[in-house]
Amino acid sequence: MSRRGGRPAGRPAGRRARRREREAVPELPADTLLSVRNLQTWFFSREGVVRAVDGVSFDVTQGEVLGIAGESGCGKSVTSQSILRIVPDNGRIVGGRILFRGGNGSDGGGSGASGATLDLAAEEADGTLIRSIRGKEIAMVFQEPMTSFSPVHTIGNQIIETVRIHQQVTEQQARAQALEMLRRVGLPNPAQNIDQYTFNLSGGMRQRAMVAMALACQPKLLIADEPTTAVDVTIQAQMLELMREIQAELGMAIIMITHDLGVIAETCDRVMIMYLGKEVEYGAVEDIFHRPQHPYTRGLLASIPKMEPGRVEIDPIEGVVPSPYAMPAGCKFHPRCRDVIGGVCERSDPPLTDVAPGHVVSCFLYGGREGAA
Amino acid sequence: MARFIGWRLLVMIPTLIIISVVGFIIIQAPPGDYVTSYIAVRESRGEMVEPELVDALRASFGLDKPIHVQYWRWVTNLVQGRLGYAMQLKEPVTKVIAARLPASISISLFSLIIVYVIGVPIGILSATRQYSAADYVFTVIGFLGVATPNFLFALVMLWLLFLWTGNVAVGLYSPEFQNAPFSIAKVLDLLGHIWIPALVVATAGTAELIRTMRANLLDELHRPYVIVARARGVGPTKLLYKYPLRIAFNPVISTVGWTLPALVEGEVLVSLVLGLPTLAPVLLRSLQQQDMFLAASIVMILALLTLVGTLLSDILLAVVDPRIREAV
Repeated sequence: MSRRGGRPAGRPAGRRARRREREAVPELPADTLLSVRNLQTWFFSREGVVRAVDGVSFDVTQGEVLGIAGESGCGKSVTSQSILRIVPDNGRIVGGRILFRGGNGSDGGGSGASGATLDLAAEEADGTLIRSIRGKEIAMVFQEPMTSFSPVHTIGNQIIETVRIHQQVTEQQARAQALEMLRRVGLPNPAQNIDQYTFNLSGGMRQRAMVAMALACQPKLLIADEPTTAVDVTIQAQMLELMREIQAELGMAIIMITHDLGVIAETCDRVMIMYLGKEVEYGAVEDIFHRPQHPYTRGLLASIPKMEPGRVEIDPIEGVVPSPYAMPAGCKFHPRCRDVIGGVCERSDPPLTDVAPGHVVSCFLYGGREGAA
Repeated sequence: MARFIGWRLLVMIPTLIIISVVGFIIIQAPPGDYVTSYIAVRESRGEMVEPELVDALRASFGLDKPIHVQYWRWVTNLVQGRLGYAMQLKEPVTKVIAARLPASISISLFSLIIVYVIGVPIGILSATRQYSAADYVFTVIGFLGVATPNFLFALVMLWLLFLWTGNVAVGLYSPEFQNAPFSIAKVLDLLGHIWIPALVVATAGTAELIRTMRANLLDELHRPYVIVARARGVGPTKLLYKYPLRIAFNPVISTVGWTLPALVEGEVLVSLVLGLPTLAPVLLRSLQQQDMFLAASIVMILALLTLVGTLLSDILLAVVDPRIREAV
């Protein structure tokens, strides 16, 4: 409960300074925007501890689209919440680093993040630094466009608010910026839409307004958490098209979180497959889709219905996701795995193994057995 | 909006007519009438009542006519502002009500202020610090407030007052101001007295508001739009006041109107216990003695308060919530 929201922002700066002193923040390679290293975000409740994210590492380079895929409960959303430090009250980042390259200071915001590499995991959640990054450097698009806006404020009100939090501009300038963004995302009548409420807009327009709000300050990283789950297929297609266009135009990086492998195939450069808080496979989209190595990835791909003349084939993964309070020992996937190696998989966690350049798998089939025995 | 208000005012007319009919029938429903209870009182004192006097009394009040004739006479007088005659007090109803309504309204308004001034901040505190020590303390106090009957609390206050001052008369004014003309000093004197009945009347409402406010706010605090606002960089204070609190207020606003008549009712026993010159004890007595013109008039005033209160709530709600504003 130590990092709950709603606390006053002004905390003594001493604690942050001390932490920084203790662990120097390493510099990121030139083209790397975000580097998550061995992130652990756990939830604490009366029933026990849930290791929602338990040692996840990945990099996002500038302008790339990274997909994070997995079943519900695999920790993909918690990973994104950890980056923005909006993990629910009973969750806490207990380990790892979230290295982020701060702004270059040229766009004149009141941001304390300029040029230097920051460890977001070590900062005070809801502190001034994290708040100056939220919505400005890293923005997020959520699942439900209807509920992402306050029902009693106009969409313009909320977009302008975001702009004015991060940029020293007048109400008129912020409004002009909001209008421009609404036009850019393809709303039919921005001048009118800006003063409308969510209930005035259609589903597709809400989606666009939501993207406009996230992009209001032209963030360098956009996290899209299941952005297409709650909408019908036509809007889903429009939404992906829009995000691709905007991405090409603004050159930002995107983390696309979804359980839909179709969305990954359509939009992403690289993808990380997660299972129960761990990354199981990580690589370029072509590698993962054409040469899946981990039995879980293969299972996921096989469970997509294939339509061939005369028959529909689905090959689901057997078993169910175990209870978060009763995690299997060793490799978390071994009770459901077809290729389980008796006496190995249930003993210890498989290490990450390189199977090809940039293609990493966490499975004993590809090595690491020596260390496990 | 103007059309909405106009329509609602128009609908009030048939509503009031229905209430007047139903109210009149219910007040008339017990066997006998004021004259019967008057005779009973006289006879219990061992006096004889001549049948001629009885008939004369009935005729003078119009009680010998059939009920629909009586209703028609009452209601036609009512719309002309003549509320009839309070038989037991031997005064016109208008005079009785005029003498006591201000006291009732003062206590009610004062209670209303106490309810909101205490209830809203504590409700917010309880929600934002859920399961903290303060939350538990206020929850216990809240349940005590809801569960303690008003009259019991009034008795306790009376007893405490007696311990402190040796005086049992609460009253609304000090004796020297009792019949004094209106002045600042008199208002200050009123404020010095009115807090006791107002506090007693307000306890249940305050406790209820704390619970409502807490539940509403807890509902809203973790809504997606709050999380989104947080992810946009909105600071903690605005994150509470601009978004969830604004919406958590809606159900509270929509019930403001109902508190008006509820406070008048809540005041009945309190006024009886504390011996205050308000409308409530008069209503009770008039019902007991079938003093029907007085009773019916007070019922109509309560009905009007309820309708006006509900309308005010609805207008307020439309003002703060665009979803309702566009629907009306």
